[in-house]
Amino acid sequence: MLMEKSLVENGFIIDLTGAQNTSQLIYELSSIMEHPQVKGKNICLKLGKLELKQSQLLSIKALIESMDASIAFIDTTAEQTEASAMSLGIQLSTVSQEMSSSMEGINSKEISELAASQIKTEEVIIKTEDGIYDNHGEAKTIEIQADTGIQSGTIATTEGIDDIYDEITTQELTEVIPSEDYNTTDFGSVAAIEGLLPTEETSKYILLDTGNVLPEGIEENSANTEALPTLYINQTLRSGQTVSYEGNILIIGDAHPGSEIIAGGDITVWGILGGIAHAGNNGNITSKVRALKLNAIQLRIAGLYARRNDTLNVPYVQKSNEFTPEEALIENGKIVIYKKLRRD
Amino acid sequence: MTGRVIVITSGKGGVGKTTTSANIGTALAKSGYKVVLIDTDLGLRNLDLLLGLENRIVYTIVDVIEERCKLKQALVKDKKNPNLQLLAAAQTRDKTAVNAEQLKEICDILKEENDFVLVDCPAGIEQGFQNAVAGASEAIVVTTPEMSAIRDADRIIGLLATKEEITSVKLLLNRVRPNLIKSNEMMSVDDVVGILEIPLIGIIPEDTGIITSTNKGEPIVNDEEAMAGKAYRNVAERILGEEVPFLNLDEPRGIIAKLKSAISKLKVKV
Ligand SMILES: Nc1ncnc2c1ncn2[C@@H]1O[C@H](COP(=O)(O)OP(=O)(O)OP(=O)(O)O)[C@@H](O)[C@H]1O
Ligand SMILES: [Mg+2]
Repeated sequence: MLMEKSLVENGFIIDLTGAQNTSQLIYELSSIMEHPQVKGKNICLKLGKLELKQSQLLSIKALIESMDASIAFIDTTAEQTEASAMSLGIQLSTVSQEMSSSMEGINSKEISELAASQIKTEEVIIKTEDGIYDNHGEAKTIEIQADTGIQSGTIATTEGIDDIYDEITTQELTEVIPSEDYNTTDFGSVAAIEGLLPTEETSKYILLDTGNVLPEGIEENSANTEALPTLYINQTLRSGQTVSYEGNILIIGDAHPGSEIIAGGDITVWGILGGIAHAGNNGNITSKVRALKLNAIQLRIAGLYARRNDTLNVPYVQKSNEFTPEEALIENGKIVIYKKLRRD
Repeated sequence: MTGRVIVITSGKGGVGKTTTSANIGTALAKSGYKVVLIDTDLGLRNLDLLLGLENRIVYTIVDVIEERCKLKQALVKDKKNPNLQLLAAAQTRDKTAVNAEQLKEICDILKEENDFVLVDCPAGIEQGFQNAVAGASEAIVVTTPEMSAIRDADRIIGLLATKEEITSVKLLLNRVRPNLIKSNEMMSVDDVVGILEIPLIGIIPEDTGIITSTNKGEPIVNDEEAMAGKAYRNVAERILGEEVPFLNLDEPRGIIAKLKSAISKLKVKV
């Protein structure tokens, strides 16, 4: 069954055996997505004994592909992961002694060191009955509103629908303030257009004729969203839950229809975005919305609001085995969608 | 113009208030009347989904009350019929975001420019119910032929009787299954009316088409064939004061049954 390989051309070893669960694994992967060494490489992915379902492995594959890399093979000792890989046509092999000594690579420990070197302060934000505080006890401006589900910073396992991240048993909200040299530029700049620009009938999103909806006193601006702090949210947002934050928001999980994400900067959902996403709500017209699967019922960027096209046949149950990362941004006064994120 | 404000309520949850609101609203608008539907189920809104309008909602009733927009801006026009407009509930807020006076004020303004204001009430008898009935002068109580639903409907009818402004309370019996009534497994229409003692405005059969129509965001009244669609069109006509006989739900519908009845008619002709 296993293939013998001594060396992988243009290979790069990502050793995630330090990750305890799927959410940690995805978190680690997403924190090296900017790592310039990964770009264009054939990734040898060490997953150890973590059991992964097909859908989970698929989202990992999508993550790696969005880094412009590909999976050469997977090194796993878990039966389920092996089965998932086989059904997805992903090769299985082992990272040999020879490989690890002759190829470049990174492991969980180095990833967290790398992340720490990029991050000036890491704060845990705690939601209590009477407000949201960081770990120094200071009140925060972020807000998650919900009638149910959130108590004192932990959320019980979400069962059923969010298959992909079902190993998340507790959630923590972590605010990451980038230092000056924190570099997120590549991910933001999209160059590739696949196919022609869509027409009104075929376009996925259609502007609402609300005009510019910016509240009075707020002006359009093009501030650099990469300079803004980012709020990481390690949970699935359910109908009725709102997250708002003055910087960028990164959600590792899905945003179900009926949920709302409001950010001063960019919104990134590593999962299915089905609710309302409002990027650049303080007037920033360069803000973007990205998701592994972009099904938002409405997209709002700065003062422009767009609705999902009625003709778009979104299956009633959105679960899917296909992830086509997409990005929404303002172009010529319209909200346009780009398929597949790609670096310059 | 002073339009009629009708609240659609039930006490028990899930008996078909929202389905009824969407269908009656659509039917009245199709007959040329100006209609506004108000979803007062804050935090658990559904009416927008049934009408396929979720993607058009920018402002909700809470935005109107908290003065983030004008009432007109919050009214979402139906895709097909501009006579029909929706005032959506907020999904991210709870019942306490609105009070009865505020809802009454909104109804009062809307009835000046519309023929009908239909208020879709949340389940229960608490604040949400009190809000929904505040601006209404008529009520339609929805129930299914089940003891628990009827008990709750009875409670609601009692509460409505204490509201001076409400001058008419009618009964809509939903999810009726003639076969079960025949085999004595379901209460008959007469049984239910006998218990609740208010005038009947409609009998809606159980119809699987309602599920597909909900998922498509297209009310079943738009379906000329469907039995439930026909029944809802009749309700709209009765609201308009016409005398429409109640549908004979026993009408054979299966192919074999239809054949049989066709053959029997032939025989008569011969
Ligand atoms: N006549 C019918 N035949 C078949 N299904 C029906 C019928 N009427 C309603 N339903 C189904 O019953 C369910 C509840 O309907 P609906 O949402 O209209 O009830 P509701 O009273 O508004 O509920 P809630 O109290 O939660 O607001 C829906 O799934 C709907 O499709
Ligand atoms: Mg309802």
